[in-house]
Amino acid sequence: MADDAGNGKRGEGAAGSGLTRRSVLKLSPLLLLAGCDMTPEGRTESFLRSFQKFNDWFQSKVFDRSRLSTEYSAAELTPEEGFRVNSKDDDVPDVDPAAWTLAVEGLVERPGTYALATIASLPKRVMNTRHCCVEGWSIIPRWGGTPLGEFLRMVGADPGAKYVSVECADDYTTSYDMPSALHRQTLLCYEAYDKPLTLPHGAPVRIVIPTKLGYKSAKWVRKLTVTNENTGGYWEDQGYDWFAGI
Amino acid sequence: MNRGKREYQHPLLIRLTHWINFIALAIMITSGLRIYNASPLWNFSIPGILTLGGWLAGARMWHFFGMWLFAVNGAVWVLYNVLSRHGRHTTLFRVQDASGLKPMIQYYCRIRREHPPTGKYNPLQKLAYSSIPLAGLGSVLTGMSLYWPVQFGPLASLFGGYDTARIWHFLFTAGLVFFFAGHMLMVIIAGWSNFVSIITGWKSAEH
Repeated sequence: MADDAGNGKRGEGAAGSGLTRRSVLKLSPLLLLAGCDMTPEGRTESFLRSFQKFNDWFQSKVFDRSRLSTEYSAAELTPEEGFRVNSKDDDVPDVDPAAWTLAVEGLVERPGTYALATIASLPKRVMNTRHCCVEGWSIIPRWGGTPLGEFLRMVGADPGAKYVSVECADDYTTSYDMPSALHRQTLLCYEAYDKPLTLPHGAPVRIVIPTKLGYKSAKWVRKLTVTNENTGGYWEDQGYDWFAGI
Repeated sequence: MNRGKREYQHPLLIRLTHWINFIALAIMITSGLRIYNASPLWNFSIPGILTLGGWLAGARMWHFFGMWLFAVNGAVWVLYNVLSRHGRHTTLFRVQDASGLKPMIQYYCRIRREHPPTGKYNPLQKLAYSSIPLAGLGSVLTGMSLYWPVQFGPLASLFGGYDTARIWHFLFTAGLVFFFAGHMLMVIIAGWSNFVSIITGWKSAEH
């Protein structure tokens, strides 16, 4: 689900260029020539991973909760035809928007399941923010939804808790530091371009978090857990940075 | 070889930062090319053999380790140059050097026979050595605009916005690679004892 980190070991570079997966595969003998694919392993990998943790820590210090991601005018929006779909799998999960509810667990006063109508009854934020993919491309869609912070207050989340973990209908996972989760532009998003989200974009509800890379904006959200444990995430566990602040 | 004519060329700190910079740039450019391949800006990809990291996440790990090495080392180098005034009279390009550019170009193009009289470094070299730190600074600033487009939003707009900053990031890198090619050519022309001087500090007179 989540947008964007889709390029890794599966046909990297295929997106957004004239390259097809097949033409990338045709180049694969070049990789054999190199003898190895230079993916960090062993001590190199553990060194780089600990350095990545340092960068995560550094990013959390640089992060300013009051700083907003630029909100663009209608003229600067990416046209709807350019609203790219990028997920960890090519097919969309089996989600019935009508029957959907959001489960909430962990350090909250009112755990349980919440319907879309309940979420939509909270204050709404509509914003044209840049969605930056880890691959390097970016788009400016028009998002609409409830700030996650409003929802967390409604369910009585412990504001002293460290993390919010997300589980999705396609088994995608990710997690956020509490300050980023409470950022004003972090949305439980249910609209794009003033219309209900479509299934490929994560209907009925996805996360949009413009202060982080696209793979943190999880689609088809079905469960939130407020916790003091860093549960990592689908791409993060494979080597992508966890904080992913931008 | 005449040992009496040995000349001290490069202080220890200059040699140290030179080679750390070499390693840092090797990491930054090769991992950067792997990141480029994830979503190529132009209609070509970089052969895997020239890249580092194996896949996007691995390349990012290298790139965001290498950025500290490159930036901190560069800051130490600048600080040293400012405090010690090293290079002020040898490699820093000044306005009065501009008139010396044309004769040097003519010499290199074999229009002019004799090497024009110059100091330790000729005006073209001064121009190259003085502009390359600016390309390094440009790489760091455009890199920060891409790494932190929200936290340092005004910086990205200085380079024409997020997408344009990405193009600038590559142009600055291309500048560094272009310099490296010319630098290698000059090192080969200048010969072995000149090369040794960036390791030991001493340049022995040619025999």
